[in-house]
Amino acid sequence: MQLRIFEWFSQTKQDGARSTAKDRMRNMLTHDRLELPAGRLESLEEELVAVVSRYFELDKDTTQFDLQQYERRASLIANFRLLRSKC
Amino acid sequence: MSGRVIVITSGKGGVGKTTASANIGVALATSGASVALVDMDIGLRNLDILMGLENRVVYNLVDVVEERCKLRQALVKDKKLPNLSLLPAAQTRDKSAVDADQMKALCEELKSMYDFVLVDSPAGIEQGFQNAVAGAEEAIVITTPEMSAVRDADRIIGLLEARKDEIKEYRLVLNRYRPTMVQNNDMMSVDDVLEILSVKLLGVVPEDEEIIVSTNKGEPVSGTDNVRSGLAYRNIAKRIRGEEVPIMDLEVKNPSWMSRIVSFFNPTVRV
Ligand SMILES: Nc1ncnc2c1ncn2[C@@H]1O[C@H](COP(=O)(O)OP(=O)(O)O)[C@@H](O)[C@H]1O
Ligand SMILES: [Mg+2]
Repeated sequence: MQLRIFEWFSQTKQDGARSTAKDRMRNMLTHDRLELPAGRLESLEEELVAVVSRYFELDKDTTQFDLQQYERRASLIANFRLLRSKC
Repeated sequence: MSGRVIVITSGKGGVGKTTASANIGVALATSGASVALVDMDIGLRNLDILMGLENRVVYNLVDVVEERCKLRQALVKDKKLPNLSLLPAAQTRDKSAVDADQMKALCEELKSMYDFVLVDSPAGIEQGFQNAVAGAEEAIVITTPEMSAVRDADRIIGLLEARKDEIKEYRLVLNRYRPTMVQNNDMMSVDDVLEILSVKLLGVVPEDEEIIVSTNKGEPVSGTDNVRSGLAYRNIAKRIRGEEVPIMDLEVKNPSWMSRIVSFFNPTVRV
């Protein structure tokens, strides 16, 4: 009980505007730096999935498609889990 | 003598460029260096007011460039610090009155006279910005922890990166920092902003009402003891001179139980 009260007094908000701002900021700057219009990445993903799907059966649930920043440079991280080759 | 030309820039207006220029200038001069402050916000002259020198301005930067007067005639000496001078902006002209080559030549001349030449840049990324960075080898990028300011700072950093040959170093000053809001997870922290921008930190300046008081008096806070923001600017000046000074501890150590209880029952009130 004593512990619970202590926790109650020392709690800080976990889901404040801070993490929202940080996530939005990251996403915004990734697009700004590449001059990447909204939706462009999504259409690339669609096309890539279509191309790879001509060769392989994909596990669509685990497909990973993401832009990551390192020292102000973006990397495109695409990860397709392959099930089997198509003929 | 060959001094260092440092441009103070931000992209967004109103984030504290002019305040930082005045305060860093005073702090550097107080520590014994000779300093020229250059107001490049042509058409929106401010730096003379913050320095309390508005009544002493006779000539301005455009007069020098257009050869209506000698550089030395346009430089206004500080009231207290004889090794600190201001080159005021023109109030009635616009940014096209000066070009990048003229600015470069002007900075060259000032560099031969002073240890530090601090150029206060206008908001924006157009000609005014290009002119302000033209003669500089170093830059201070200033932002607040707000999203729009950080976005504009990122744009400026991109432009500085593109000038790698001229701008050898740039560092960030995070202004109007509110540790209590960060602790409540309502605002981005120093580390958040540094991580997002991938930039080196020069200093953090807290939100401080004393800044407004000092602006009204025409005496920058860095010249006053016992003021937190003034100490922050003095530390920034030391880091510019190459001293290793740890970042000021801005965390709120022990928010009182009373304030916690109040904010629990009424989340919008923070004591
Ligand atoms: N750390 C601070 N705390 C409180 N007010 C500040 C702080 N820094 C700047 N200000 C205020 O913000 C306003 C804009 O500052 P200014 O230096 O003129 O910005 P800029 O030159 O970038 O347009 C001014 O009213 C100034 O007093
Ligand atoms: Mg200004």
